[in-house]
Amino acid sequence: MSDISRSINKVDNDEKITGKAVYIDDIKLENMLYAKTVRAEITSGTIIGRHYPEMPTDYHIVDYLDIPGNNYVKIIFEDMPVFVKDKVGYYGEPIALVVGPDKQVILDIISQIVFEYDAIAPIYDYVDSVIHYDYEKGVGEAVFEPANRVIEYTYETGYQEHVYIEPQGVIGDTDGDKISVYGSIQCPYYVKNALINTLGMDEKKVRVVQTTTGGAFGGKEEFPSLIACQVAVAVKKIGKPIKLIYNRVEDMAYTTKRHPSTIRMEAAIDEQNNILGFRAHVSLDGGANIGLSSVVLQRAMIAATGVYNINNLAISGDVYRTNTVPTGAFRGFGAPQMIFAVEMFIHHIAKELGIDPLILRNKYMAKQGDSTSTSGHFRDPIIMKDMIARAKELADYDHKIKLYGEHMPTKDMPGIGMSWFLHGCGFTGSGEQKHIKAVVRLHKDVGDIVTVLVAAVDMGQGIKTTMRKLVAHVLELPIEQVIMHNPDTDLVPDSGPTVASRTLMIVGALVSQAAEKLKENWLAGKEQIFEEKYKQPKYIQWDEESFQGNAYPGYSWGVNIVEVAVSPVTYEVTLKGTWSVYDVGKAIDERIIMGQADGGLLQGISYGMLEVMENKDGMVQQKTVTDYIIPTASDTVNMITELMDNPFELGPFGAKGAGELTLIGGAPAVALAIENAIGKSVTKIPVTPEYIMSLIEGE
Amino acid sequence: MVLSYRPVSYADALSILTKVPVTIIAGGTDLMVKKRSWSNLAPTFDGDVMFVGHLEEISYIKKLEKSNQKRIHIGATITLEELLYHKDTPEILRQALGVMASPAIRHTATLAGNIGNASPAGDSLPVLYILNAIVVLASSSGERQVPIEDFILGPGKTAINSDEMIKEIIIDDCNFGTVYYKKVGGRKADAISKVCFAGCGSKVDGQITDMRVAFGAVGPTVVRVRSLEEACVNAHRALQLSVSEKPSEDGLVEPSKVNFDQGDESSNSIAREQLDSETVKKFADYVRPIDDQRSNAIYRKQIALNLLKDFITKL
Repeated sequence: MSDISRSINKVDNDEKITGKAVYIDDIKLENMLYAKTVRAEITSGTIIGRHYPEMPTDYHIVDYLDIPGNNYVKIIFEDMPVFVKDKVGYYGEPIALVVGPDKQVILDIISQIVFEYDAIAPIYDYVDSVIHYDYEKGVGEAVFEPANRVIEYTYETGYQEHVYIEPQGVIGDTDGDKISVYGSIQCPYYVKNALINTLGMDEKKVRVVQTTTGGAFGGKEEFPSLIACQVAVAVKKIGKPIKLIYNRVEDMAYTTKRHPSTIRMEAAIDEQNNILGFRAHVSLDGGANIGLSSVVLQRAMIAATGVYNINNLAISGDVYRTNTVPTGAFRGFGAPQMIFAVEMFIHHIAKELGIDPLILRNKYMAKQGDSTSTSGHFRDPIIMKDMIARAKELADYDHKIKLYGEHMPTKDMPGIGMSWFLHGCGFTGSGEQKHIKAVVRLHKDVGDIVTVLVAAVDMGQGIKTTMRKLVAHVLELPIEQVIMHNPDTDLVPDSGPTVASRTLMIVGALVSQAAEKLKENWLAGKEQIFEEKYKQPKYIQWDEESFQGNAYPGYSWGVNIVEVAVSPVTYEVTLKGTWSVYDVGKAIDERIIMGQADGGLLQGISYGMLEVMENKDGMVQQKTVTDYIIPTASDTVNMITELMDNPFELGPFGAKGAGELTLIGGAPAVALAIENAIGKSVTKIPVTPEYIMSLIEGE
Repeated sequence: MVLSYRPVSYADALSILTKVPVTIIAGGTDLMVKKRSWSNLAPTFDGDVMFVGHLEEISYIKKLEKSNQKRIHIGATITLEELLYHKDTPEILRQALGVMASPAIRHTATLAGNIGNASPAGDSLPVLYILNAIVVLASSSGERQVPIEDFILGPGKTAINSDEMIKEIIIDDCNFGTVYYKKVGGRKADAISKVCFAGCGSKVDGQITDMRVAFGAVGPTVVRVRSLEEACVNAHRALQLSVSEKPSEDGLVEPSKVNFDQGDESSNSIAREQLDSETVKKFADYVRPIDDQRSNAIYRKQIALNLLKDFITKL
């Protein structure tokens, strides 16, 4: 059998390159109506009066009064309304839909709607904590008592917007009995459960189908549940198919983004310049609703030591409610903020102690068997030493780091930075066992065609290709004999959401196991079904309250080296090169991983130096792709990437998660490169030319 | 009801203008974005529109000589991409066009449109200011020529009358010893300027004879201050004379001689640096940018002046 890593054509190449792929906005159902959202025009306060105009025939206003079930979007907390009843939490919060056949008439109706508000002073600062966690490792806080000195730095990270190519959109439909929602989504069962809750309907009467999805990056994890509920309520009321598609401005202004953060790091240092322990506090801006923020905070806090082994920790964190657009899931899920802080901090500690950062980092780099931040253990081999050596060799790092930083003010200032990072794959702690309980199924028909029945969606990351490849390899069948469709909750079991770098590693492992069983019991020409359910490995012992134990079943690892040149005239940063080495266990398809590597790293670098999003009076200021700067091809370079195999015992063919890992090191690597170039300590991202100027001129 | 006119000829376009007020669309890359509506609905123009991008008669680039002055005439429907690759396009304009928008936009956008849009951040505008661009406005009753600084009145405001359209743009065709164009955007392509700078100049026998600079996105219109340009040229001349007096009485400088005397050279360069700093300081009063969603005033001002300094140093 050939090496599974050898690349094949992605199974959706043809339909996507030729334009045959059908996205949500391409679908037109008979008698379909259009919906547009009516939004709050204050940032904080109460609606005290609603004035809707007389509705022409076939036009409808749908608001909270039409909700048959619960007026909250089922995520974790019950704090995000489907439609505002009275309390407005952020500018643009949805109050109603106007639904009808003609878009122009809908716009005219919306222009006549008037709300009266009782506005109150909004909160934008980190004062209203809605979630608080803390945990310790070793002696915790007490380690600061014998410390010879304490080094403290505070780091800040900004918003990041997903900018998936295809904006948010759903279509709802009904046959009079059952309600179906089609959409550009990551998590069909999240949407389904939200619909059951809001419609107050039996689970058999609700169906969710994923349509070909043009990118998601976490932005289609929880947000689509909101618009799916709105449209389903409208469909239930009106009885016709309804389409709701966001335009780009609406999408950028009013959908979830990465949490801005402020992270305070403190290190206790003894007389021999050893790091005795860390104390850290993470503040996340949750926006108006908690949403998934509690889980994002957990991941950020658990990442408090990055790839390093620090014996004593006192870590705390808060999610603050502010009167701004809710923040939510985004590739990396709290880790990019924390890894940025940790990677900068270890350099800043070295600088303060007058030690070569590389020596300090190597001294604390975690090894197999070391304890994790949550007092669990790194069970599996860690091959970072080899990965770092290889990345340095590819980048000529040792030579360049000696050369750079002694800039001449008239020339472009060269700089090089290196980040080390890891990502815990799958849900945090016992999430898989307690909350997700994944089920997968393989169905073989009488023609011996095998269909993979999972709720995982292909959002461009290639899961349709890799799942089919896994099954085909196990069964030793040609890939054409294995099929996987966009999930439809009437047909596929709940294998969990397509998030958390879990799909290939966890769902894929279950699919592989089912394939093994099918292979053992193969009956040619007979219909056969094999099902697998997730069983938590024994070594995962996790205490949710105290944050103690093995937080993740396994870790993927990475090294990024980024080289830049900073203009002394404009302080613009030009990317000169990137060199990366990743351990994702075993690549199920090399080209797909390379795609994740290039895209993820560029998204991470861009998070670190380009992507500015600010709130002014509670309103997002950069809400077009013109003003919100993501990189173009001209901004990037030929990225050099290598993979090192380190098969993971529980992953299919040894595979671990790869989707989020590749984003995480980009920001610290580019920030360190800029720090190296300009000789000033960088403490916030994005490191814009404006910020660089203030660092240089601020002396 | 919005009517769309598609004239069959340039003459037809002028005659439509006499009858109805219309918004003129050439490439539409600014207007169609500005006026976009919900998908599948017509754009939100509040009056009639006239499409002119297809008019062949005003699609030309010509080099003409008039009273010993070579000038380039650029027809209103010439696209940025056509201009970018035309042999007669001056180097500094070529540099500006090369970093404007994206290839797709350049294939339909026009120079006339960039002028008519009158954005403070229009990337071609600083170059047009220093090339002394004349906007030729045509109506059925004739033509008039308006210098660009009189044509653009403020953001989105121009001196065009409702019966006129831009027929062509006339620019200087000069050979500069040094051309310097820098657009500072949020990214390397497809960006709107945070600040933009164009400079060109020439030297004869080591003596600065011409120096022109213009700044974009630092005020309501492009900033060009001819009096300061002249003052700078004069000051350089004065400095040159005072230095050259030392080695040679007749004012001729022998470079090798000056180089031998380290003391003179360093005092010369100190004097030059002082002069350049003063020039930059004088321009600073005219550079008055604002904060917006793309950058802030402090950065814009500092970078505009850094670019000026960098240009003068390289001159």
